[in-house]
Amino acid sequence: MKKILVVEDDRPIRNLYKDELIDEGYEVITAADGVIGYEMFKKHKPDLITIDIKMPNMNGLELLDKIRKEDKEVPIIIYSAYGEFTQNFSTWAADEYLVKSSDLTEFKNKVKELLEKREN
Amino acid sequence: MSDEDIKENYKDLVRQYNILNQISKTVASTLDLNKILKIILTGVTFGDGFGFNRAFLFLIDRHQKNLIGRIAIGPASEEEAWKVWGEIQHTNYSLEEYLNSEKFLNEPSTSVLDEKIRQVIIHLDEKKVLWQCLEDGVPRNVNLINYYQDQNFNSNKNPENTFDSDLDLENGKSDVSCQPTPEKPYCYIYDKNLIEPELLEYIDYPKFCIIPLISRTIKVGILIVDNKYNKRDITDDDIKFLLMLGQFAASSIRNTIIYNDLKDSLAALEKLNMKLDYLREYNEKIIESIPVSILVIDKYFKVTLCNENCSKIMRAQKNQIIGRSIDTHSIFIDGADLVEEIKKVMDENKSEGFHKVNIKMDGRKTEEIYDVILTPFKFFKDTPEGVVLIIEDITATVKLKKELSEAKKLSELGKLSATIAHEIRNPLIAIGGYAIRLKRKYTQNQEIDPEAIDIIINEVSRLETIVNEILDYAADRKLEFTKVDLSSLMKECINLAEISAEQNDISIDFSCGCGILGDCELFVTGDYNKLKQAFLNIINNAVEASKKRSKVTVLIQTEDNYENIMIKVHNYGYLGSEEIKHNIFLPFYTTKDRGTGLGLTITKKIIEQHNGSIGVESSVENGTTFTIKLPLLKQEQN
Repeated sequence: MKKILVVEDDRPIRNLYKDELIDEGYEVITAADGVIGYEMFKKHKPDLITIDIKMPNMNGLELLDKIRKEDKEVPIIIYSAYGEFTQNFSTWAADEYLVKSSDLTEFKNKVKELLEKREN
Repeated sequence: MSDEDIKENYKDLVRQYNILNQISKTVASTLDLNKILKIILTGVTFGDGFGFNRAFLFLIDRHQKNLIGRIAIGPASEEEAWKVWGEIQHTNYSLEEYLNSEKFLNEPSTSVLDEKIRQVIIHLDEKKVLWQCLEDGVPRNVNLINYYQDQNFNSNKNPENTFDSDLDLENGKSDVSCQPTPEKPYCYIYDKNLIEPELLEYIDYPKFCIIPLISRTIKVGILIVDNKYNKRDITDDDIKFLLMLGQFAASSIRNTIIYNDLKDSLAALEKLNMKLDYLREYNEKIIESIPVSILVIDKYFKVTLCNENCSKIMRAQKNQIIGRSIDTHSIFIDGADLVEEIKKVMDENKSEGFHKVNIKMDGRKTEEIYDVILTPFKFFKDTPEGVVLIIEDITATVKLKKELSEAKKLSELGKLSATIAHEIRNPLIAIGGYAIRLKRKYTQNQEIDPEAIDIIINEVSRLETIVNEILDYAADRKLEFTKVDLSSLMKECINLAEISAEQNDISIDFSCGCGILGDCELFVTGDYNKLKQAFLNIINNAVEASKKRSKVTVLIQTEDNYENIMIKVHNYGYLGSEEIKHNIFLPFYTTKDRGTGLGLTITKKIIEQHNGSIGVESSVENGTTFTIKLPLLKQEQN
């Protein structure tokens, strides 16, 4: 079973992502900020990571940078409520950038796509 | 003396008077000093005139210390002398005719003698003859023939060269002083040592006559004549006439010099005048160019200066304002009478300023807005000569500032809208996401997770809270002010807060340090419900920031000599950082998991609506204290 780490500070959204990904048949680990997110990454070695940008303690971009320094391969989806973050080159280190939406279809497709891509 | 002699003498006299007359007539026709000098010297040397071989003229300098060689007429050598005389005889001119002839008027003075004299400067020495001569006004007839023969005086160094001198040795004195008589109005000089060496070197001939040129008492210069070439002796009559000519020449020269000086002074004055005109115009241009109105009023309240801008404000021509008393106009600056203000500035010797004011001019209020400054101006220390009034039209600036502040408000509104949009986005995503999920589960007949429904309900309630608080913050609801008993209001708030505090075993202490006011009757004027909302926010915040089993303290006390009430709400938690402290009152700034970030913003707004202030101090050691200051309702107002 593929392991996915969800790093998101807003609890209802975190739960929504978790519930939806479990329904898709993944094992889901969650973290409420960047610091916990990094600990979880080290501990569980997930197959894919999704990260929110605006978070307390350590934001998503810092976490992305920190993970990429250690692991250049693990697929990372970065998402935010802010569309303009695509302009920030720090987000280019991620494999995918998504704007937050209540419709998770695109998100789930990208997760599947990236995991399959890694498989091959 | 025979009849013939007398007749001859008489004829000579007539001739010489005639010459004087001709010279004076020609001199009178000009004001050119060089020409006058040339006429005089020509008259002296002209064959038809006095007929001296050579004539020299020196003028005294401004400091009366030196004689400066100015003009010389005569041949430079014996050959030249004969040639010149031949020519003149040939033309047969009379002196007057010659002086008016083309030859005289246009002939440039290029003689060697003339060129040399301009380089001669004779220093006047009290012990020497030229100085003495100018002092006593008596001509000197110089005869140094003895030196000439004995000591090779002449540069010709020709011992054969003899002179038919009538050396008056018995009268000869080696002293510069002299007592002239009407018959013999001059003195002899035989002593070479009495003569200035520069002169001797230049003249280079032992017999010559020195005529002082004195106009009234003013020394003008020296005229020297000799007969170097025909060697004719200078007679008593010669000297008498030279003396007359000398007096005439002196006054002509002096008048001309004065005239020329005057002319120069006039020209200089004219130039100065032009410069003054220019300066006046320059200053005027500056005063007219600066974009402020200037009015200068002297100590008698008379207007001495008014620029165009000012005359526009006063709606009068400049010439109707300047020179008249300022109280002919009724001018009020921000309601203050200008005349009174001028008096005040003069009396106190201190500037006065008015910012953003209207001016009422002769009963008419201007539409523009002005800055006005009254400044005393002084020529001497501490005594104002008048007042300078500077009026600046700031209407455009004020308008611009207003526009700027509106633009700023709009930009703040823009930022606020973006923040609000972002704040409501997360709950919307969660609600939408779970709604989609529930629909899918429902249509697929799968089990519905009740937790998902809870999340939707909670998030909707969160949205409601946010929207209510925004509406509350944005609504400009009119406050209903009543007399509010602060300590009983505070007790009510604490009772409400204690419900949640007790769940975490947090106690709330309340004390009222009323000082001399006694039984804690502290009143403010305020909106009861709004103040309750504000205080409850602060107390609830303090409870939420406290650890379990800790304490929140609320203290009310009077401040600033019973002018204000100070409310302090303390807890032992630390805010976290200086940044949090700095931003804590900003909208949507929150450190709490489920806060909207509007509570403290609303509290601050309410306190400010009550003319109060709110601040926060926080440290790890002392915890956090919010301090609210409100104006106390005075007892007499109760």
